Amino acid sequence: MREKATTLYFGPQHPGITGNMMIRLKVEGDTIIKATTEVGYLHRAFEKLQEKRNWLQSFTMMCRFCVPETDPMEELYARAVEEIEGREVPERAKYIRVMVLELARLASFMLWYGGQNGSLGLYTMGQWSVGDRNYILDLFEELTGGRIYHMYIWPGGVRRDLPKGFEGRVLKTLDYLEKRLDDYDDLMFDNAIFKKRTQGVGIVDKATAVEHGVVGAVLRGCGIKSDIRIDDPYEVYDKLDFIVPTSDGADIWSRALVRRQEARQSIRIIRQVIDTMPGGSVYNKIPNPQKWKLPKGDAYVRAESVRGEVGLYVVSDGGTMPRRVHLRGAAYVHGITLLEDVLVGENIADVSAIMNSLGTCPPEIER
Amino acid sequence: MKDIKAKLTEKIKASFDTVSEKDYNGNRLDFHVDVKIIPQILTFLKVNLGYIHLSHISCVDWLEEGEFEIIYILWSPVEKLKVFVRTRINREKPVLPNIDMIWRQANTYEREMREMFGIEIEGLEGAEEFLLEDWQEMPPMRRDFQTEEYAEKTFWSREGREDAIDVREEIIKRSREEIPDFAKKYSR
Repeated sequence: MREKATTLYFGPQHPGITGNMMIRLKVEGDTIIKATTEVGYLHRAFEKLQEKRNWLQSFTMMCRFCVPETDPMEELYARAVEEIEGREVPERAKYIRVMVLELARLASFMLWYGGQNGSLGLYTMGQWSVGDRNYILDLFEELTGGRIYHMYIWPGGVRRDLPKGFEGRVLKTLDYLEKRLDDYDDLMFDNAIFKKRTQGVGIVDKATAVEHGVVGAVLRGCGIKSDIRIDDPYEVYDKLDFIVPTSDGADIWSRALVRRQEARQSIRIIRQVIDTMPGGSVYNKIPNPQKWKLPKGDAYVRAESVRGEVGLYVVSDGGTMPRRVHLRGAAYVHGITLLEDVLVGENIADVSAIMNSLGTCPPEIER
Repeated sequence: MKDIKAKLTEKIKASFDTVSEKDYNGNRLDFHVDVKIIPQILTFLKVNLGYIHLSHISCVDWLEEGEFEIIYILWSPVEKLKVFVRTRINREKPVLPNIDMIWRQANTYEREMREMFGIEIEGLEGAEEFLLEDWQEMPPMRRDFQTEEYAEKTFWSREGREDAIDVREEIIKRSREEIPDFAKKYSR
């Protein structure tokens, strides 16, 4: 006998959801037959507010688009403004930017380790990785004054040079984290529960990926080698040596494998950057921010975050304020149309694991 | 890169009449097209020329010129080139063709555009409300929507704050410093 379908409201307040959003699930027994996302709980109209602020004031809002990884947004804004204005950036600043971006990536991976395992009830991993993330946040606090929102990478370079002996402290933290990543493997990838709950769950195959415009680790998890840092290199990524890991499984497990290797690649990149960092100034001074006008024009810049490609479209009409700032996050693509399709046929218990794996970040969707 | 751009321009111009291009430094190429051929040119770029990744769709309100500008940004992983397809539509009765059958994720962009700019998308499916709830005013991302006016009309100050002191005025009284011109508009 066919079971009667019921509607289940998943979110907006739910420990398994990666932020405040709601998914209306139509379920038969434990199986989902239809999923509809409803967003709107986090809309703060940043893009509208930025139109009423000058170029420097609106820079301070960029980092607030997505909390787990704030630096790519700052870097994008800085790069877009530099592209419109034609402003040069000192070589040393570019290296420092890459270092900060990769540290932010590492911190975000740590948060993902916790979230992915927490969604399956494996809470020890979260205690470990979020604890270790604090060592990176300590470094950020020393460098920028803030632990989460840094406002450090700004148009023209970075705000200040590295403190004395900072490189040494970064390397020491990396040595520690590298050891810890091996411990994580024992706890996570050798864990029978993790394997059983993730293998064959949340499949995004190649055809779906291309149809939906999927980016980042989800794309690499189905065997397509794609990384903005290699394909459309920015800052000094074209001078650095690192590999782009891929995996063929197309499920949560293979995305986890991809991210596991990427965390190690980030450590490798930071070590290279510190080894090859040139000296010199870190900042080309901008004019008086109240009178700072950009020439008429527009720019679209992209960067690779942990969740995938983030793009920023900035338009200047020749005035002291942006005409339009429009962010495109990876979650904007993954979190709505793709999530709705992937959830069909899955179990209710796997919804939050799939969301974590796709990198759904509601603040990035709503802005 | 120059060869790739020249070849692409040639192929596009052979198939479509009303296209003008603009070249930029680096890996960027712009095409200005008429709104009627948007689905055709995007399909042509995706299927025939390998621009398989739709990176972004954005809308800019040119209030003074009475037009909306829609920008579709495509990316080819093989040719490593960003292609901007730009079109302008009338601000009074904005209508756009739907392209979510070419790329599924375009649906999200179009739903947001419909809500935030009030652009009608022909044959678009999906709930009318996307980010806003019970919105009665003009679409909020239009340039003539006044944020401050709306906030003053809709929200109210917390009670008990009527006699709050303006910090800036206190500072002037104590230190006899002048408020800079740009900060004066923020004074209460």
